[in-house]
Amino acid sequence: MTATETSAALDPRSPSARLAALFDEGTFEPITAVDDSGVLAGVGHMLGTPAVAFSSDPTIQGGALGSAGCNAIVAAYDRALADGAPIVGLWHSGGARLREGAESLDGIGRIFAAMTRASGKVPQISVVLGPSAGGAAYGPALTDIVIMAPNGRIFVTGPDVVRSVTGEDVDMERLGGAEVHGRRSGVVHLLTDSDLDAFARARELADLLGNQGKVGDTELVDIDLEGLLPEGAKRAYDVHPLVNGLLDSPGVELHQKWAPNIVTTLGRLGGRTVGVVANNPLRLGGCLDATSAEKAARFVRTCDAFGVPLIVLVDVPGYLPGLGQEWDGVVRRGAKLLHAFAECVVPRVTLITRKAYGGAYIAMNSRALGATKVLAWPGAEVAVMGSVAAVRILHRRKLAEVGEALRPSLELELAAEHEKLAGGIDKAIEMGVVDNVVSPKETRSVIAATIADAPQARGAHGNIPL
Amino acid sequence: MAEEVRAELVANVWKVVVTEGQQVEDGDTLVILESMKMEIPVVAESAGTVSVKIAEGDVVQEGDLIAVIE
Repeated sequence: MTATETSAALDPRSPSARLAALFDEGTFEPITAVDDSGVLAGVGHMLGTPAVAFSSDPTIQGGALGSAGCNAIVAAYDRALADGAPIVGLWHSGGARLREGAESLDGIGRIFAAMTRASGKVPQISVVLGPSAGGAAYGPALTDIVIMAPNGRIFVTGPDVVRSVTGEDVDMERLGGAEVHGRRSGVVHLLTDSDLDAFARARELADLLGNQGKVGDTELVDIDLEGLLPEGAKRAYDVHPLVNGLLDSPGVELHQKWAPNIVTTLGRLGGRTVGVVANNPLRLGGCLDATSAEKAARFVRTCDAFGVPLIVLVDVPGYLPGLGQEWDGVVRRGAKLLHAFAECVVPRVTLITRKAYGGAYIAMNSRALGATKVLAWPGAEVAVMGSVAAVRILHRRKLAEVGEALRPSLELELAAEHEKLAGGIDKAIEMGVVDNVVSPKETRSVIAATIADAPQARGAHGNIPL
Repeated sequence: MAEEVRAELVANVWKVVVTEGQQVEDGDTLVILESMKMEIPVVAESAGTVSVKIAEGDVVQEGDLIAVIE
């Protein structure tokens, strides 16, 4: 290490100190000069996986980016593409350097172009450590996964500009803090309790995406997953224990607080990286809606772009109906999920745990959309809608005629009949929309074997931030 | 700070689980709604004293106030 680097390392916010803390200990090597460009880039290992990273320098002009700093980031991208390695960006920057004017804007534009060139080719992870405005906000937003540390803030323009332009009085946290981006906007995938925790998450994700392994790398033990569902078919439950029970160890959940009615988690099964998409009946009854469809669509495309097989856990009563949803664009945004699954080429296994109804059944990686295999637990149901609701429509007149006293028993009778004809799992297997009934006791090994036997393809497309 | 618990979707109020003035913890079920043929629990996202704003059998619209936790 040179004298400049040693003194710079004393400031914990300096790029040298931050990059040294991000990579596995002692593995960081700079690939750009340590100077006043405002950016330092380097290579090293993350949980043993080779990776590239860069960091803005908040100790110089608040981390603002000029032409030279932007060139350093573009150089880091060229290196990541040449090595086929994941790239992590550490952001703490006010955006473009005012003094350099349009030249710095041009540089930031070149960063965006480099990110888009690399999109879907190498995994891109952003860690936002401090206020990141303008170009430093859109930079992370163009990448695959955004992690935010407690002091991270993301906004197009900071509070001072907002006040002078519109008169609105707002602080940085309310404008672009954890609550905003973790729960409301969906800009951030992961919130962390500290900078070090953010680095640990970035290493974990770089390893999951950059070193995916294969099924059989670790021993797979079957456990009975049935106890993770409640007894009553209408009863809500939290799907997280089921997702974690399926994986070797609890995975990294993305967008935990945004659209919580669907869960998207990266983890390992039998040692191989997989992505899990699961309806969560605890929130909104597990319905799909505009936001959750968009969240899942982006996750599916991320996994497809990097060759990560998908496991889709289905327990869905339908699309959430109503005015709010239609005005929110549930048709346009829901179409993204249909498109994402239909174009997906990675191994993708669906497991229907309880029920799959209506349009949401189609959207959750159905046979027709090209699922590698559709499995169902005993007693699961596939139908256009629940059987009682269906007979209320199909037999409206008959039910009206019998009067209120006899109606409930007739409904149940008709529903049982209807289920035999249209909803039961036997019928679904007969039609070929479900391949096999699988016991909860052997679900892990059956899914792992299905993934291992399928062609390990990878989608040839970028990963636009849907 | 008071937490306002609002309905996430149009639903029937099937069961009110807590009583007025009860102490609740983060994660406790306050009310069970029924919608989309599902029982949907409404859980507290903070600890405190609960004040219930609806009754069993009511129909709530999206955004309606269900309870306040102080």
